[in-house]
Amino acid sequence: MKANVRSLYLLIIFACMTTLSFAQGINITGKVTSATDGTALPGASVLIKGTTTGVPTDLEGNFAISVPSTESILVVSMIGMTPQEIPVGSNSVINIVLQDDARALNEVVIVGYGTQKKLDITGSVVSIKGSEISKQSSINPVSGLQGKVAGVQINNSGKPGEAPQIRIRGVGTAYGSPNPLYVVDGVWFDDISFLNSNDIESMNILKDASSQSIYGVRAANGVVLITTKKGRSGKAVIDYNGYVGVQKVTNQIKMANGNEYSTMINELSAINGGKQLLDPSQYGEGTDWYKQILRDAFITNHQISVSGGSDKATYGLSLGYLKQDGIVDRNNFKRYTARFQNDFQISKNLKVGYTATGAFSKSNDEAGGIFRQLYAAAPVVPVYNADGSYGDPSKLLLGDAVNFNPQVTVDVFNQVTKKTLLTANAYAELSFLKNFTFRTSLGGRYGQDETRTYNPVYAATLAQRNTNSLLTFVRPQARYWIFENTLTYTKEIGKHSFTALLGQSAQHDQSYQLTATARDVPYTSEGDLYLALGNADSRNVTDEGDLATYSSYFGRVNYSFSDRYLINASLRADGSSKFYQGGNGWGYFPSVGAGWVISNEPFLQNQKVFDNLKLRGSWGKIGNASVPSNLSTLTVATGGSLAAIFGGAVNTGASINSIIPPVTYWERGVGTDIGLEASMLKNRLSVELDYYTKKTERAIFDIPVLASIGTSSGSILGNQADFQNKGFEAAISWRDEIGKDLSYSIGINGSVNTNKVLTVSTGANPIYAGGVGLTGGALATRTRVGDPIGSFYGYVVDGIFQNQAEIDGSAQKTAKPGDFKYRDISGSNGTPDGTITGLDRQVIGNPNPKYTYGINTTWNYKWLDLTLDFQGVAKVDIYNANLGWRYGNENFTKDFYDNRWHGEGTSNTYPSANIGGGSNYLPNSFFVQSGSYFRVRNAQLGFTLPTKVTERLKLKKLRVYANAQNALNFFKYKGLSPEVRATDNKPTTAGIDANVYPLSATYNFGLNITF
Amino acid sequence: MNNIDFKINFKRIGLYAGLTSMLLFPVACQDSFLDTDPQGKQAGDVFWVNESDATKAVNAMYANLRSFDNIAFGSVAVESLGSDETEKGSSASDATFLNTYDNFSVGSTDGQLGAFWSAQYKNINYANQVLDNIPAIEMTAALKERYLAEAKFIRAYSYFRLVRAFGDVPLRLKVPADNSEYNIPRTPKAEVYTVIEKDLTEAAAVLPASYGTADLGRVTKGAALSLHAKVSMYEKKWQQVYDLTTQVIASGQYKLVANYEQLFRIANENSSESVFEIQNELVLDNADASNSQYSQVQGVRGVVGGGWGFNVPTQALADAYETGDPRRDATIIFRGETTPEGDFIPTVGDNPMYNQKSYVPFSLFVSGFNEGAQQNVRVIRYADVLLMNAEAANELGKTTEALASLEIVRARARGTSTTILPKVTTTEQVALRTAIWHERQVELAMEFDRYFDVIRQGRGAAVFGPKGWTAGKNEVWPVPQTEIDLSGGVLTQNAGY
Repeated sequence: MKANVRSLYLLIIFACMTTLSFAQGINITGKVTSATDGTALPGASVLIKGTTTGVPTDLEGNFAISVPSTESILVVSMIGMTPQEIPVGSNSVINIVLQDDARALNEVVIVGYGTQKKLDITGSVVSIKGSEISKQSSINPVSGLQGKVAGVQINNSGKPGEAPQIRIRGVGTAYGSPNPLYVVDGVWFDDISFLNSNDIESMNILKDASSQSIYGVRAANGVVLITTKKGRSGKAVIDYNGYVGVQKVTNQIKMANGNEYSTMINELSAINGGKQLLDPSQYGEGTDWYKQILRDAFITNHQISVSGGSDKATYGLSLGYLKQDGIVDRNNFKRYTARFQNDFQISKNLKVGYTATGAFSKSNDEAGGIFRQLYAAAPVVPVYNADGSYGDPSKLLLGDAVNFNPQVTVDVFNQVTKKTLLTANAYAELSFLKNFTFRTSLGGRYGQDETRTYNPVYAATLAQRNTNSLLTFVRPQARYWIFENTLTYTKEIGKHSFTALLGQSAQHDQSYQLTATARDVPYTSEGDLYLALGNADSRNVTDEGDLATYSSYFGRVNYSFSDRYLINASLRADGSSKFYQGGNGWGYFPSVGAGWVISNEPFLQNQKVFDNLKLRGSWGKIGNASVPSNLSTLTVATGGSLAAIFGGAVNTGASINSIIPPVTYWERGVGTDIGLEASMLKNRLSVELDYYTKKTERAIFDIPVLASIGTSSGSILGNQADFQNKGFEAAISWRDEIGKDLSYSIGINGSVNTNKVLTVSTGANPIYAGGVGLTGGALATRTRVGDPIGSFYGYVVDGIFQNQAEIDGSAQKTAKPGDFKYRDISGSNGTPDGTITGLDRQVIGNPNPKYTYGINTTWNYKWLDLTLDFQGVAKVDIYNANLGWRYGNENFTKDFYDNRWHGEGTSNTYPSANIGGGSNYLPNSFFVQSGSYFRVRNAQLGFTLPTKVTERLKLKKLRVYANAQNALNFFKYKGLSPEVRATDNKPTTAGIDANVYPLSATYNFGLNITF
Repeated sequence: MNNIDFKINFKRIGLYAGLTSMLLFPVACQDSFLDTDPQGKQAGDVFWVNESDATKAVNAMYANLRSFDNIAFGSVAVESLGSDETEKGSSASDATFLNTYDNFSVGSTDGQLGAFWSAQYKNINYANQVLDNIPAIEMTAALKERYLAEAKFIRAYSYFRLVRAFGDVPLRLKVPADNSEYNIPRTPKAEVYTVIEKDLTEAAAVLPASYGTADLGRVTKGAALSLHAKVSMYEKKWQQVYDLTTQVIASGQYKLVANYEQLFRIANENSSESVFEIQNELVLDNADASNSQYSQVQGVRGVVGGGWGFNVPTQALADAYETGDPRRDATIIFRGETTPEGDFIPTVGDNPMYNQKSYVPFSLFVSGFNEGAQQNVRVIRYADVLLMNAEAANELGKTTEALASLEIVRARARGTSTTILPKVTTTEQVALRTAIWHERQVELAMEFDRYFDVIRQGRGAAVFGPKGWTAGKNEVWPVPQTEIDLSGGVLTQNAGY
């Protein structure tokens, strides 16, 4: 780390020196005000025409800029205002009055490899300001998008530090990382956990295939373009943002207490012919393990940034510190971030710059499997015995399924993860021959992580003990570079406006991981934790790695006539090493879009309703390279489990235990989008409606194969299915002012998405998947032509067997009272046959959410501001696997205790305590529950100090706020959280909930200061 | 910066940018940039080249025999729990799905069926890989022949386990070339038996009688002959059983170990009585190579170094022994006893009895490893060969020989005692058959033999009927539903399921 610190220090000096050396020319000052009410316009852009040099106005609308000559022209612009050009001449003070621009359409949106006016866009692109993300208490910027964008569904995990799952317009791909492509200042990422929300200028979500298509190879799950904040010329601006808060578990599921638990496991034992295990009268409340291990966790986040510059050079730097305690005892996370950025206007035509980010984090990790233990642990076991020793479940003979004391797990666990990530991007941009811009950029990242685990010698309970210590180091390393060149040509001839882009990109992505272990390392201090101190014979090293390369060419043409008729077209050719050996190295991804700005037609010039009305349509293809490297190469399996023992000694084994991989083709997404954009009533009301279809052709994922082939994995990867998402999105916002002091905005967005399978590789046979370990080996989902992908599949429960007589008269002769009564749907000849077999299963639920929605409101009254965000999902099913996923005497939920069958007439919906036994654990309709939810996502009340006071304090701005995130959640689901994530990220196993992480809410107080 | 500067800069920079792009564009243009090698994984097309590859592939085949589904739950469910000698054990509510094998209520969707099925086909795939690919390798001819013979044994052994458990099964004798060969129907049981016999005949012709220490545990000629005898016994080919067992006996390769209890301890692994054993070891710092859970799943519950306590002896087994038979104590760990190795079994616990044949003294437990990971699985013992010989001889009317072979087994159990286990003397065929069957029950108890042994004797309903066994159905288990689903109906279900 020392070296890193030194290089960062050098960067700071460099940034400051260059700023000084470029400050020169004629100094102009002035003020920008609004023509409507004469108020100052902060944040307006003052630019020297023909250059990219400019400054923003400050909070009082003032600016100061240095121009090269008296011939210079200032371009003053602001969103919602008509831009003005003012020749400098001999003036040194220039005050500008801007007119409201009724059409307010000059807003510039970031698109792939460039920018476009919002007006000119023919696809579906949503831009979210960084401030909207950073004002929330979400650590991961992606999480901050929840409920903000129509058609974008975010599933947050309760697991500390885990990145949220994001789905743009439904399931895009079926295999590999389901994450969209994040392009941060030109560098590609599939996770942006390292990024400090405060460093983000904007996040632009490319939702439709035509906008995504220019990123062909990696666009299948959508593209999020992120620009980070850049310095602007002018006086140095210093910003401080910070908050302190607490995370609290919310909607905590209630488990059975000691008395209830002992009652139920006695029932369970009796049903299975066993004796009474515990005397319930001996147990009362018992141990509430969630309460014992979980805590209110402290969180604090601070960020300070400095930015500024001259007309020749600008700089921005920021430093961030985050400390987040986990809700699990002993778990915590610290992150330090630093970002440096410089832009230099070398000459009138040449601009160069770079952004460099460093992130370092250290966490004391959460004990593995602890949440599952909290769910399962027996409440009859005390945390500690009277003598101070740990409570030991084995004394109660409860079986291996609950043979643990979670407190031991937490106390013994010793794992520290450190992550270092350096990422940088440097570019040069050259304008020449009037209309051409050539841009070359080289980006890269280097990540070096380390996870150190020490398993000490201990003897806590009968099952939780260890007689020889083990030290493990896992060191993953990632090296990546991206080199891109683009040439842009822009031309306006009369009413014709034309932009063409040609580009090339090359990427090299390599990872390497080293794992080393040693036994018997002493541990008297952290300084002992070296492999060298371990037993020499026990030291063990192994490694693994991965390499993928990409080579791409792309082009795009944008044409608009009279600001009324728009045409955009692009083509990307992508080559990837992942498909190369299969002979399908190259994929081609075209797109086309057209738009009609109706409001610019002469016949709509004299109306007052529409400020803007645009109809647009687009079509595009996108690809998915999120498959393993060397997909089509048969490889040799080896490792300890293939080593034979002869004469007591180990003999290395290796063989081929997979099938010859089938030739795999590029997976293609084909999407169309038809949209309508309208701004009405002086831009107070804006509406954006989209209808889309997104077809994923030749979707690559693995499906189970016949075990009789004898492969080790039991599944095969290839082009397995075509499926389609169709939907409708609406985003409506209203903003207005009431009187002088109250302004507000209300945004409502919602989407309807339906998913349907069009073809499957297994032909007439459906693809069966899902469950297995969680469902006692049975497959819980079926993917069949015409159904939604990964539909839950199982028996239909018609009730509970109340007595033996009912059983004798039923199709399940070996059932026991209290078991599920399955519906006899079909036999081998298609009609009910009096027995329950595999033929009686049918579709019992759909894991693909139909409705997602968000309501976002802000209210400003004088110096007060209030934000209220709501968000939810409706019409989605969850398979609550935790209920049936039992091996023995795991605890039950209180809900299950209260409702279970425990004798004739006690319940006809919930089964007996034997829910994990008999045929009860098999996938069936009881486990399928509604996953709809509604929540108050953010509630924030802020107060900004009046300008008079701030001026006295020599500050530009000071705001304090209180915030609550996820404070109120409403759902009927009986699991821990309705935000379910597929355990293995496959759509064929989506919605199967084995999640054991509770929801948590964050309450915090924050402070923003601008100096 | 003035205009003159600008012009110079522009030219220089323009030139530079042009050059840079010309130089760097080709980096990505070349297809070699996209032609990457698999990282840290040997490509399949450079395997099967030399003798070392052949050796490793044969090793992998042996290694898989100790996988969880081959020797732990899958085997317990399919090959043991149906019998009258064992029951699920453990805590009553632990792994209750195993009860469905004990009371014959198992449905086709239970996971252990698929686990056992899949384990056998993995063994078969490793064997087929060897059989398909080694012939083309240039290597020592004799070693090549032996490797092929070893693979044939493993394949036959796995098909035998499948055919006993499921009846007709898909028969794969080579690695499927492409997806046209993936989905194949079940081959009639009789044809599968023919293939098993062919493999074993060919294996026995090549395999050596024994190995040196470095190769101890590989299959031998005796193993192939003995397994062939056992397969023949299931087909009631008595002359063949007699001939094969006689050949094994005459080889002089095998001898019973005097102390029956000690026979199952680590020290007596690969003993003179051992015909075929699955080799396990606890190798410190190679947990993957020490992955046997055979002893762990059956180990004494609730003690450090014990295990999970599944597949426990029944009272019926304890009662099956003749008075004073020392094999009763050597086969069953009784709660409250102290084992000959000095382990005290606590008087209070879930189960009254545990399997002593899989027992590994608690002191050998190393935390971080499976309990008893070092214990070999005795698959075929010489005692089994002798009893097969006795049964075949009796069926063929060679009563004297039958009595002689039976007596060798009883004499060892009897030891020096004169009061127990009297010599069987009956020459009446039915009575002698019953005696031999009973001898098999007690001699081979808790060795995963009993269940299918009783069925092949045709006594399923008589012996297991009270537990729910139904003739015409329970001779075989259901074909895993997952497999039927995946086959799209190409695979059919067994009658009654």
